[in-house]
Amino acid sequence: MGLGLKLEGVSFAYDATPVLQDIHVHIPEGQFVSLLGASGSGKTTLLRLAAGLNEVSGGRLSWNGVPVCGPSLERGVVFQDYALFPWLSVVDNVEIAIAKAKPGIRKAERLSEARGYLRQLGLAAAIGKYPGELSGGMRQRAAIARALALGSPLLLMDEPFGALDPVNRARLQDLLLAAWELATPRKTIVFVTHDVDEAIYLGDRLIVLGSSPGRLIADLPVPLARPRERCNLLDSHSLHALREQVAATLVQDTLQRLRAA
Amino acid sequence: MSDYIALANQDLPAQPMSGALDGPPLAAPGWPGRALESVAVWVVLLLAWSVASVYLPLGDNPLLPSPLITARALWESLPELWAGTLSSLTILLPGFALATLLGIVAGLAVGTSLRLQRMFLPFAKVAGPVPPTVYIPYAIAILPTFRLSAIFVVFIGAFWPIFQNAVAGAHALEQRYRDNARILGLRGFEYQRRVVFPAALPHIFTGMAVGLAFSFILLTVAELFGANAGLGRFVQYYADFADYPRMVAGILYTGLVTFLAMTLLDRVRRRSLFWLR
Repeated sequence: MGLGLKLEGVSFAYDATPVLQDIHVHIPEGQFVSLLGASGSGKTTLLRLAAGLNEVSGGRLSWNGVPVCGPSLERGVVFQDYALFPWLSVVDNVEIAIAKAKPGIRKAERLSEARGYLRQLGLAAAIGKYPGELSGGMRQRAAIARALALGSPLLLMDEPFGALDPVNRARLQDLLLAAWELATPRKTIVFVTHDVDEAIYLGDRLIVLGSSPGRLIADLPVPLARPRERCNLLDSHSLHALREQVAATLVQDTLQRLRAA
Repeated sequence: MSDYIALANQDLPAQPMSGALDGPPLAAPGWPGRALESVAVWVVLLLAWSVASVYLPLGDNPLLPSPLITARALWESLPELWAGTLSSLTILLPGFALATLLGIVAGLAVGTSLRLQRMFLPFAKVAGPVPPTVYIPYAIAILPTFRLSAIFVVFIGAFWPIFQNAVAGAHALEQRYRDNARILGLRGFEYQRRVVFPAALPHIFTGMAVGLAFSFILLTVAELFGANAGLGRFVQYYADFADYPRMVAGILYTGLVTFLAMTLLDRVRRRSLFWLR
């Protein structure tokens, strides 16, 4: 039995409309996987299934050998829309996660630990502020801090940087990579994105979904050494070749769909 | 790479949300203009009242006393009106507080449970629209004291708007907050307290404002029926003796008390919902 996230023939239908069909994927523990696909390919649905927010219609989905049936602190999620609770301060948003992850410790310790996570993500000045007072990038950093504070070995990230400007996006990509590479043991991360360059820069492996219904059309290793340096990657032949391959795969899938239609 | 991380770790200044620093539109008047707009209707009404009280032929006991006579009656009645206010508040506050407490608890419970919705919403659809004034004679008949009857009627009047708005607030909870709560393992009372209640607060305050206005209406109506003191009783008492200056003074004073109570509630709402700004 392989540890990690395992999808064996996973299907999902919404009101009899198939969204995902017969997905077979094994993501070993500690791997950083980028999940790519066109809009409507079921990336978010796949993430929600892995989080336990929806139930599979067919097949088997397990985390470390245990079938996923409902959310668990084992699986943290970072949503695209900065889903912090706006009525709680930033530090309270993180503290609430620590309270669930470590129910035994006192509130003062939890707050201290929450401040530590926020400082780690460069949010020392925003600790007492409310989400509505922060920029999009800061809110997303706070959401990542909360997910890290939850201590989940599996982190599911649904286009977390999708709404950010390019500068903030690059900052947060680097911050996420640094946090992931420094952690021992490393978390397993499934990172949903539309952006092929982002997927390659962050991931050990690319999983590409085709559309209508969502199905696996490519599973590619990223042949780039770690730690990665953005400047060096710009000239990397491997990056360009992989980008071309992914783009060709997505275009081919789109053409097939159009022909079928 | 290290440069990027250093860059990423810099604390960015908090940025206000879009529009937070926007000033008033260019065409909006300054504060003197706004103040004038606020008092314009009052000035016009006062003038109309003065003119009507002087020129309408109403005999020796005018039904429409002049503003000056009314002001004098109001000043002379202040001790009595203050005592009446305290008496009315001993009815209004318990009734409204109980309605708020039970309306919120029941509304959030029903709003987050399909089973409770199936059980209670059909009943609420029938009982909610019944005008609370129809309960007044029956409540006076079946409850041992007038005060208890009035508290009950105020409670009924305030409960339904608060309950219905709490249900709507719980229904309106955004899916992303539900998902977040599930991911964080928030359940039961903790889920209600930390997620559903604050998210539903805008709706709850709307219900409380409607409920408070109803409470004042029902309170004064109930006091017309059988009270020995109170704001409604004050107006009824002097109407019986055709003392119209005191009666009009009582109406104006009741309006002022209602306005102050609604303003206080609005202040509490603004403070509680700071995160919406």
